[in-house]
Amino acid sequence: MSHIHIPDGVLPLWLWGAGWLLTLALVVIAGKVAERHEMRRKVPLLGVIAALMLVAMSSEIVPLAYHINLTVVGGILLGPVLSVIVAFIVQVVLALLGHGGVTVIGLNTLITGAEMVLGWALFHMLVSMLSRRRAGLAAGIATVLTLALTTTMLVGIVWLGGSGATGRETGALDPADLKFENPFATGVFSVGLFSGGEEHADETDPAADEHAQEPTLSVGRFAAVVYTLGPLGWLIEALVTAGIVGYVARVRPTLILSGALAEKQRRIPGDEAGGL
Amino acid sequence: MHIGAVDQAATLGTSWLHRSWPIAKLVAFALVLAAAMVTWNLLVLLGIVVLLSAAIVSSRVKPGLAFTLAAYPAFFAAVFALASAPDVLSGFVIVLKALAAGLAAVTVALTTPYPQIFAPVQRVVPGIVGDALLMTYRSTFLLLDKFANLMTAVRLRSGVSVGQPVRAARATTQALGGLLLYSFDLSQRDYDIMRVRGYQDRLRVAVHPSTSRAADAVLVATTLAALATSLLWRIAADSLNPYSWLVPIPALFALLAALVSSRRKS
Repeated sequence: MSHIHIPDGVLPLWLWGAGWLLTLALVVIAGKVAERHEMRRKVPLLGVIAALMLVAMSSEIVPLAYHINLTVVGGILLGPVLSVIVAFIVQVVLALLGHGGVTVIGLNTLITGAEMVLGWALFHMLVSMLSRRRAGLAAGIATVLTLALTTTMLVGIVWLGGSGATGRETGALDPADLKFENPFATGVFSVGLFSGGEEHADETDPAADEHAQEPTLSVGRFAAVVYTLGPLGWLIEALVTAGIVGYVARVRPTLILSGALAEKQRRIPGDEAGGL
Repeated sequence: MHIGAVDQAATLGTSWLHRSWPIAKLVAFALVLAAAMVTWNLLVLLGIVVLLSAAIVSSRVKPGLAFTLAAYPAFFAAVFALASAPDVLSGFVIVLKALAAGLAAVTVALTTPYPQIFAPVQRVVPGIVGDALLMTYRSTFLLLDKFANLMTAVRLRSGVSVGQPVRAARATTQALGGLLLYSFDLSQRDYDIMRVRGYQDRLRVAVHPSTSRAADAVLVATTLAALATSLLWRIAADSLNPYSWLVPIPALFALLAALVSSRRKS
């Protein structure tokens, strides 16, 4: 679940606003850290990885009609600091294409960023536990675990926004008798403009009680759908990620197995000078 | 997603929306998005969708491309609504909100080249983020071309077929792996070229000046009216709700005028 397909105006202001604030804070911090550590030379790399993720999201696997995200691959390649920046960029471009709301860019960045950072951390942990030769398997397992966690994060977001945010009035038309009705009869000015009209000033008003009991977003049903369909997506993403990481680990291992995971140099006895 | 087609429409178009000031379009986008967010009134949302359709018709971009792109978020919103909406009408409203927001985003994207959209964003984000946004734009088209060639090569060798999903997935994965290695080399080469050309601080994009102040004013005023209507119907729903059917009518007239105008020009 690299991004949520919840339209603008469904989640309450405090939730998507908090998402935006947190995202901007993280992006600014990541930007400062990147610039302090002379990561400017990685600007083209950021661009190509973001582009690669966008290209992957635009190509379906025949005939399953599923688009992969490559978030874990991106996380493994970029590390945690640059992952936050790429997550933000990908979500901005996707929002411009109408693929995800503008207000949920913040929340989407948090989910995508979490996926990339978690994927990177789990991959490193699993490679050191298994072996460098099983980088593909490690990436696959890391992907499944990461996607399961971020899907739970998604359900948590819907739960946070769902209880009050969607118990709203739909306005003019009553579908039962096709008559226009006034949904705000219990108090026009008590309606939160951006909070969805779920608050009523006069709590003792019976009509207000009636409104309070209106059905709200079914988080349970949403979770059931997500956890039923999700594992198929996790599996596909895991297989693709394992395939790509395994391929890169074979062809050019230094790209993903650097730092602590790098192959230790073998010293040939009698060649202490390192071949010089 | 049709990233290449979107860029072509934005770059080669000559309509009044293409010539409008990018910042005016971004302001208009924010206003119309706010209008769609504020209201939960089905008819007000319908009015916004019709108004945006009029803008798309008048901009002479391919309506099929615009509506296909906007249908994407609407489809996912329908899945979300199906999974969680409390009733059918709420579900319709959720889908219409997504359609309105999607159409607004697509209208801007189809009439404004990406660097012009990123230019104002670039000024408020850290340098590395702004530069990476522009590099993403450039790299996307290079990689799309490369990926298309790779997939053609895979298909020619019967690597992708509907009847063999495992083989298809493996071929797609290997193509993506190859693309990944290519993208690494590309990024290294790009950086070397940028350094040679003097890249040190940040990439700068100048925003195109306005070619018609009147068109900008019409654009912002119309979207401001849409937001005002949305707010009015939200705040004074008590007295205005019975007249909600009036809201889509001006938008329908605008759509009709745009259709007649586009017929005459073609």
